Amino acid sequence: MAADYVELHCHSAYSFLDGVAQPEDLVDRAAALGLPALALTDHDNLCAALPFAQLAGAAGVRPITGCELTVEDPHGRMHVVLLVEDRAGYANLCRLITLAHRDTRPAAGGPARAPAAPLRDVLAHAEGLTCLTGCPTQGALVDVDAAPERLDLLRAAFGERLAVELQRPFREGAETQLRRFAALAAARRVPVVATNDVHLHLRRRGPLQDALVAIRAHASLDACRPLLRGNREHVLKGPGEMAALFRDLPEAIVETRRIAERCAFAITDDLGYRPPARAGEADRELAALCAARMDDRYPRDAADRRAAEERLATELRLIRHHGLAGFFLLHHEILEIAREVAVDVRGPDAARAVLPPGRGRGSSVGSIICYLTGLSHIDPIAARLSLGRFLNEELAATPDIDLDFPRDIREQLIRRIHVQYGSGRAALVGAFATYRARGAIRELGKALALPAADIARLAAASDGWSAEAVGDELRRVPGLRERADDPRLRLLVALCRQIAGLPRHLSQHPGGMIVADRPLSEMVPLQPAAMAGRTICQWDKDACGDAGFLKIDLLGLGMLSAVERCVTEVARTEGPIDLSRIPLDDDAVYREIRAADTVGVFQIESRAQMQMLVRVEPRCLDDLVVEVALVRPGPIQGGAVHPYINRRMALRADPSTPIPYDHPLLEEPLRETLGVIIFQDQVLDVAQALAGFTSGQAEALRRAMSRRRSRAAMQAQWEAFREGAARRGVSTHVAETVFRRILAFSAFGFPKSHSAAFALLAYQSAWLRHHHPAAFLAALLAEQPMGFYPPASLIRDAERRGVRVLPVDVAASGVEAACAHPHGVRLGLRQVVGLGEEDAGRLVAERTAHGPYRDVRDLARRVDLADGVLERLVAAGACDAFGPRRQVLWELGLAARGRTMADGARQLAFDLQLGEAPAGLPEPSAWDLLVGDYASTGVSLRTHPIAQLRPGLERVVDSRTLADLVDGTPVRIPGLAVARQRPASANGIVFLLLEDEHGLVNLVLLPDVYERNRLLVRAEPLLLAVGVLERRDRQVNVRVEHLEPLASPRRGAVGPVERLREVAPAAQHFAQGRRRA
Amino acid sequence: MSIRALRSQEPRRADVLTTSDGYPRRVDGCLVEAIREEWRVEEGWWATPTRRRYFSTVLADGSLCVLYQDRRDGSWWRHGR
Repeated sequence: MAADYVELHCHSAYSFLDGVAQPEDLVDRAAALGLPALALTDHDNLCAALPFAQLAGAAGVRPITGCELTVEDPHGRMHVVLLVEDRAGYANLCRLITLAHRDTRPAAGGPARAPAAPLRDVLAHAEGLTCLTGCPTQGALVDVDAAPERLDLLRAAFGERLAVELQRPFREGAETQLRRFAALAAARRVPVVATNDVHLHLRRRGPLQDALVAIRAHASLDACRPLLRGNREHVLKGPGEMAALFRDLPEAIVETRRIAERCAFAITDDLGYRPPARAGEADRELAALCAARMDDRYPRDAADRRAAEERLATELRLIRHHGLAGFFLLHHEILEIAREVAVDVRGPDAARAVLPPGRGRGSSVGSIICYLTGLSHIDPIAARLSLGRFLNEELAATPDIDLDFPRDIREQLIRRIHVQYGSGRAALVGAFATYRARGAIRELGKALALPAADIARLAAASDGWSAEAVGDELRRVPGLRERADDPRLRLLVALCRQIAGLPRHLSQHPGGMIVADRPLSEMVPLQPAAMAGRTICQWDKDACGDAGFLKIDLLGLGMLSAVERCVTEVARTEGPIDLSRIPLDDDAVYREIRAADTVGVFQIESRAQMQMLVRVEPRCLDDLVVEVALVRPGPIQGGAVHPYINRRMALRADPSTPIPYDHPLLEEPLRETLGVIIFQDQVLDVAQALAGFTSGQAEALRRAMSRRRSRAAMQAQWEAFREGAARRGVSTHVAETVFRRILAFSAFGFPKSHSAAFALLAYQSAWLRHHHPAAFLAALLAEQPMGFYPPASLIRDAERRGVRVLPVDVAASGVEAACAHPHGVRLGLRQVVGLGEEDAGRLVAERTAHGPYRDVRDLARRVDLADGVLERLVAAGACDAFGPRRQVLWELGLAARGRTMADGARQLAFDLQLGEAPAGLPEPSAWDLLVGDYASTGVSLRTHPIAQLRPGLERVVDSRTLADLVDGTPVRIPGLAVARQRPASANGIVFLLLEDEHGLVNLVLLPDVYERNRLLVRAEPLLLAVGVLERRDRQVNVRVEHLEPLASPRRGAVGPVERLREVAPAAQHFAQGRRRA
Repeated sequence: MSIRALRSQEPRRADVLTTSDGYPRRVDGCLVEAIREEWRVEEGWWATPTRRRYFSTVLADGSLCVLYQDRRDGSWWRHGR
């Protein structure tokens, strides 16, 4: 009897701010409580349905797929629970959820509306679904007047598959309501069913649920008391407890089991997905396509021709074997669409028109079919790229083809794919934003009504990704650590720990799309994305992959946009260049690369890459391919970096130096990387060479390492590896050494193909930077945000290399930065803080159409700009040509504004007579101007702040003289913080990049120094570092012993440093290799 | 007096005898005739935590009685008379 209960109404954290349990928490708890089955019914989505079903199945709890849907009728909104009985019901539920979300994004923009499906649609899609009437606060029967009519309508549609939901939430008045529901059910002969509207897996998580409600309401807990549940009875309860609770209504318990038995649908089975159908024979079509391009890429008399033909035959055979021809043709088709899009976006005659619309990245770059069909731009034969990682005999999953596009082309391409495949047949893959430290501190702090200053201080000091560590952070923040025992701060820490990793909302994956031969909304619910014309599916990439959906990755790559813009700028000012024909062995370019003079260059501009550049000393593209791959956790943790560099230096000194290999069998796979594993595909090659693995076995080994490692699975891999190696005469000892290296490398490395693709772009960007520095700077500025350095540093770097940078000027600036002449860059209007792209566009359009602005009053009359925007333009110096800023501001105050009328006509205003600005105001100092620049544009073209401060500083060196000092010299060096980094692989060491008027200085802070100076490191722009110079080969660092903020000198022309602190561009912060906002 | 009116009155200590499963049997010497409803309150954990088990009862003399047990210390309180 007791085991008869099945919970049919249960929310996970994927109800987004209305549930605290991860699917795995619910499954674990359900198994422990002895629930035979469990339905997951999140609000208006199936986001967690698939992982929940997989986890539940594995734990012996039968999963039921469902949803609590918001429904609308003339009486208002209500919740009903819909449970899936069969595949038709599943398709109906997906359609209904899609319908509920259809109008959630207003066409005019603005915040999203809450989803709701019209009742008539629910009634029309009842087939295969069981309907429960919902909870006692928002269910279908709550509205006393509407209840009978609603129940009758639902009964007419769902028939026997309708039940009136009864709950015992132990809320005052709930019993009266339960009796009303039960009486209504009896009168209409509808069965009753017990549920518990679960929001918690454990009672002790009740506070978090309350806090989520407060977050949802944007209010403090005190302020939203009436919205809280008031107790913790909505916890997952076992069959015994529920049976006891409904002792007086046993039929409500029995009904749960009856419904559960009806809901036999398994979401883990085939959902009916098929990729878009192709007419004709795909294998033949693909072969023909490749054959047609063969002579072009590999002429008949070329040395590579035979190797290329053999590789093509191998790939075609493997593709036939796995039935993947349609997959390749689909990608080819998308690339063809991209070509059309590129023509539209770039314009037919543009300088960038000769560039391919996109480029491959990842392991697919190793495929000759991708090369021939345009999906890759790297010749895999010439670059000696292996195939196994991408395609092999024993493929476990559909391989990934990742394509990079300039951002503007990608935007349009995604739109065009939606149109081309028909709406509903294409969608973006979803992704879940999850709670990390800062968001958790801010939102929970507000719920707990902590003082805003405390929240801000703690959030600013927190640099871990995980909200679990907020307690540790708190103990380090002065002003808060003394109060760490404050009850509310302790609650904050506890709640942060619990909220860590919970999903906050559905967003979109950076580039994944799925397409199908039928409406996707029969297989997964869809909802409109924030950006008009785009649809997101409610599943993330793992769920899409597990459901067998074919995923296409269209990634936006800022550097591709910048390179295209640069080529356009060069063509405009100097004449056209063909990027595909630039020499790949330009020694001047490599000289800069070897000197780590790479600010702004793709991939090799970061602090870590710069440090590596001066040691690896790349001399050709092959070296760059290694360089790009070297600064990755795999080679670093695998201990490959130092041996590689040492061997490279030894070889440079004496080319006959022998390379030591762990075993002679490894000479072949590891020759080009001097005996160590640097590329991901070398893991496969080594496993094949040493242990005789097939490519499929080797790929299985790689996957075993990349997913959550199971001890048993790794043990099995090791046994196979050791046995295979023994058969080849390799001792257990050597096999173990090599296996350990593979393990340490794990999966955190680039495949060589990916490195090759990125190295080429790195070289191209370095080439453009060297030969066309002004156009390159303009392109980087226009495509921000991207890369490692803030715009201010990019500008300083370009100026040091001879580029003349001109300020924002309403008479000359475009919307974006652009070349003023071959050696000069004019900053764009968008550089002005608070000036939107649209405002900037109108200002430029009016100037182009009707000539230059005579003065600031003319500007105010002709362009409809919001109050304050004109002042910002003046403050940014964009109107300096009209006279001294104070005079211009004075004029502006008296100028009348024109307004655009509804019909688009301009209404001109009468102007007041202008007087003179009051005399006697002092002109601003150089420091004032600098502060003003940073505040209004984030950059400054004036004397560097450090240069202005330097006369007041004693016994300090600069970044230029640092190079002449010997190892161990004590130094004091001032600078502006431009980037800080705390890599996961560096054991708590923090790197800080300072900039002065001559260049960059790399600071190293050991963990204890960092802890002592945490707030300075994180919040202070102007710093004085005291420490010791460390020199290793050509690498120069300052090991910091002491750090202090630069104070205002007592005398001198410099104004208070503190004012700059408020406005200086924030140093970019990189945690675990990724930039954080 | 209605429940609403009762609830609006300040609670005062009550002498309560319970059944083995914790339901009130006798309130200030008066037999509990029926329990109309039970509800539970667990809130205010962020400031002043409240954990109570409320009962709306009918006493043997026919009067309504709303009482609760404070679950932190086990004490009983009733609203009104």
